[in-house]
Amino acid sequence: MQLRSFQAKLVYLTVAVLVLLQTATLIAVHVAGERTMRLGVTDELRVGRGVLDRTLTVRGRQLSIAVSALASDFAFREAIALADRPTIISALGNHANRVHAEAVFVMGLDGIVVADTLNERYAGRPFPLPSLVREAERRGESTAIVAFEGRPYQFVLVPILGPRPIAWVCMGFTIDETVLNDIRRLTSLDISLWNPSGENPLVVSTLRTNERAELVSQIGARPPKGGDAVDTVSLGDDAFEVLIHPLPTADGSPIQVVLQRSIEEARRPYRRLELQIFALSTLALIVAVIAAYFFARGVSSPLQRLAQEAQKIERGDYSTALQMPQKDEIGKLANAFDSMRTAIAEREEQIRLQATHDSLTGLPNRTLFFDRLSHAIANAKRNGGLVGMIMMDLDRFKEINDTLGHHFGDDLLIEIGRRLSQTLRASDTVARLGGDEFAVTFLASDPSEANNVALRIAATLETPFLLGGVSIEVSGSMGIALYPLHAEDAATLMKRADIAMYDAKKNHISYAIYEQGRDEHSLRRLAILSELRHAIARDELDLHYQPKIDVGSGRAVHAEALVRWRHPVHGNLSPDEFIPLAEQSGNINVITKWVLRKAIGHCGEWNAAGVELTVAVNLSALDLFDPELPTYISGLLSEVGLSPSKLVLEITESAVMKDPAYALRILRDLKSRGVTLAIDDYGTGYSSLAHLKRLPVDELKIDKSFVLNLRNASTDDIVIVRSTIELGHNMGLRVIAEGVETAEAWDILKGLGCDMAQGYFISRPLPAAEFRTWITKAQNGGFGTSSTARA
Amino acid sequence: MSRTISLVLLLSLPAAARAATITVDVRDARGAGVADAVVYAVPEGRELPLGKKTAIMDQKNRTFVPHILPIQTGTSVRFPNSDDIRHQVYSFSPAKVFQLPLYEGTPANPVVFDRAGVVTLGCNIHDRMSAYIVIVDTPYFATTTKKGRAQLPQIGAGKYALRVWYPEMANEPAPVPLMLGASENKGLVVTIRK
Repeated sequence: MQLRSFQAKLVYLTVAVLVLLQTATLIAVHVAGERTMRLGVTDELRVGRGVLDRTLTVRGRQLSIAVSALASDFAFREAIALADRPTIISALGNHANRVHAEAVFVMGLDGIVVADTLNERYAGRPFPLPSLVREAERRGESTAIVAFEGRPYQFVLVPILGPRPIAWVCMGFTIDETVLNDIRRLTSLDISLWNPSGENPLVVSTLRTNERAELVSQIGARPPKGGDAVDTVSLGDDAFEVLIHPLPTADGSPIQVVLQRSIEEARRPYRRLELQIFALSTLALIVAVIAAYFFARGVSSPLQRLAQEAQKIERGDYSTALQMPQKDEIGKLANAFDSMRTAIAEREEQIRLQATHDSLTGLPNRTLFFDRLSHAIANAKRNGGLVGMIMMDLDRFKEINDTLGHHFGDDLLIEIGRRLSQTLRASDTVARLGGDEFAVTFLASDPSEANNVALRIAATLETPFLLGGVSIEVSGSMGIALYPLHAEDAATLMKRADIAMYDAKKNHISYAIYEQGRDEHSLRRLAILSELRHAIARDELDLHYQPKIDVGSGRAVHAEALVRWRHPVHGNLSPDEFIPLAEQSGNINVITKWVLRKAIGHCGEWNAAGVELTVAVNLSALDLFDPELPTYISGLLSEVGLSPSKLVLEITESAVMKDPAYALRILRDLKSRGVTLAIDDYGTGYSSLAHLKRLPVDELKIDKSFVLNLRNASTDDIVIVRSTIELGHNMGLRVIAEGVETAEAWDILKGLGCDMAQGYFISRPLPAAEFRTWITKAQNGGFGTSSTARA
Repeated sequence: MSRTISLVLLLSLPAAARAATITVDVRDARGAGVADAVVYAVPEGRELPLGKKTAIMDQKNRTFVPHILPIQTGTSVRFPNSDDIRHQVYSFSPAKVFQLPLYEGTPANPVVFDRAGVVTLGCNIHDRMSAYIVIVDTPYFATTTKKGRAQLPQIGAGKYALRVWYPEMANEPAPVPLMLGASENKGLVVTIRK
């Protein structure tokens, strides 16, 4: 794990740095210590030499004093002066014992030994160290170091006074190990007195016997370096620094002092120091490692926690707040991290909302709606119950948007959303699927509840919306579908609610419940759609004509061309069924042109045959966007030789409303070419009168929904029809009523002054040939006037 | 002190006398007079009678006085102590070995020196004190003055060996033979080696 390795790294780094530093320190201490030690040893050796010299000098003086005192002893002097030799010798032995002298000589003033304590070996012979006597003659006494009989001695020679010198007494004191050990105690040096010329070269030493032998074998060959020069020898396991120092002797015998210092011993305090430093270093290292470990843990464990928190956030868990007590950078990081967590959570919530909600109204969007619907259906599948959904599309919303602006439209949508939400239960879902399309899902125990919901929604919308000082009424078309009655899954249910909604819209009713089979109809529509483009080529289209009768004269004046599709499978299809499909598929222009060509052709034939008729052709809204259309029509008319006045083009209000400015341009163009224009299905399209007034139309065709039930009893419809006729007339338009199916309607229309009538009461749409026959008959007999005869 | 110096002994004799006085100059090798040298004439071929004589070797201020005391053999010497501290006078000299244990005042018995020779005196408790008693077998002896001159008076005619002694001398110079007649009076210079 990364964090672990950080911890390890810090520990390793600490160890490495410390070990390096401490090793360097130890090496430096060792090197310095070794040099200091060597210098110290050399100094010690020199000091030792000085101490030795001084010690021997002092000892000589002390011995001299002792011997002088002894020589002053009256009895001793008396004995020497007066006694016989044996007495003298015993007196010598006695007094030598007093001062621990090893050798005593008594000489006459002539330098001849009178007596000695060395078995009289020297008696009668000249004293072996005449230089001492000479020195004593000069100075009254003399002291010297000599090699005597193979051993180092300090000799002291003093006169025996009587009171003038009467003899010499000389006492010899060996420089033995006791003396050297005394010096050794002072100096920590091993001292050997060394007489290389002697037979047994090592005279006396503080060393052990075996070391002496080694020292002899090592030093033996070497000449003394002289001065302060220091040499090195190794005895046993130990190495020594040695200083070889010639001792001044009275007899010139080459006694050398070998001072030696154990290097190991000298090194010991430095060794101890190094050991202490090493121990301290080790301790420091351990402490540092522990400190580094805890420090690193102090860093890495919060980091690990941060990593864990990051992983939580990665999983989408934003619930845990991250709080760390640290005030340091890590604490700051943790705070920043926590702020980030909150910010991410907020943003994600926002994104999630955006993904599932409509940004304008804040309502669930299609995705969420589908989701909820699916859940509700799944739930209902397990627990029973109904799941209803309503798809609602606002009527005239585009018009509102266009005239009052998009902001207004947006505000309206927001308000509608708000009202819908208020109207429905909290458990119900209101969604905006897009544009002016809303959807509602709800739980129901009975299908009739769906009606209630739809009615509630309709009632909600009935209250005018007051927005920015504008009051507006809005209605919607609702389609209802219920699970499990209409579909088993959410997608199908939505599709079927949509179908129901279109049904409602088509039928100008507030809401419609999905009807079984409607979906199959849709399927047929799809099939038709795909076959439509081949219909003209296969010559499956046909034109029927329905006459329009001049109410006053009873004569047929117009023939409305209605296209039929002799479908090889579905039989004859009405334009209501396939024209919308043609519009959707973009084939409408082709069909319109085909109809125009056929109709103008027929009309040309009729007029040529003396039948005075004007032919009426329906234009689709999309045709009004075809800038070629006027030219095309002119071409057809001149081709057939038909006057433009013999052609009526029927346009629905809503077709014009799609793009009034453009439509108006086309219409004016057509109008200028002499073509008659009529408004079709007047009364359903919400066009304002002001608007209508600007249209260059000649005729107004009242929608059949107002005419179909036109009876004396239905005063509402009569009022509408009458006012429409009056309105038309006032605007200088001819008014046509379509859907005239009864004599009563005919009579009423006649009474209201309607200009023309069309409908089954007069004639159903007839194929061209049959229509020719019918028109001939009608021209001859007239209509209206023979209404009773028809009945 | 082994340097050799010469003493000159100048002997002067009176012109005519029964008993003559002899003047002797003692000089070292460079001709300087030597003080405190004992000059004495020993008659040859005859014994001179021992005189019952006495002498005094005093001790004043931790010094023997005189430093050199020539006496004729057989002379009794008293060693009075004039100091208020005690002295222990001794001699290891062969001519007379003796010692006077610590004393003050004058010891009752004088020390009789009956052999010719030089006695070196010392005080056992005062190493620096020393003196010489020069015992000669003749009544004719004298100590030189500072200038190195000594006079031997009243010496009868006869044959003598003139000798000299001096503390630092190395060897006694050879005796100077002396023939004293009735009218002889001559000076002698004796050179001695010390």
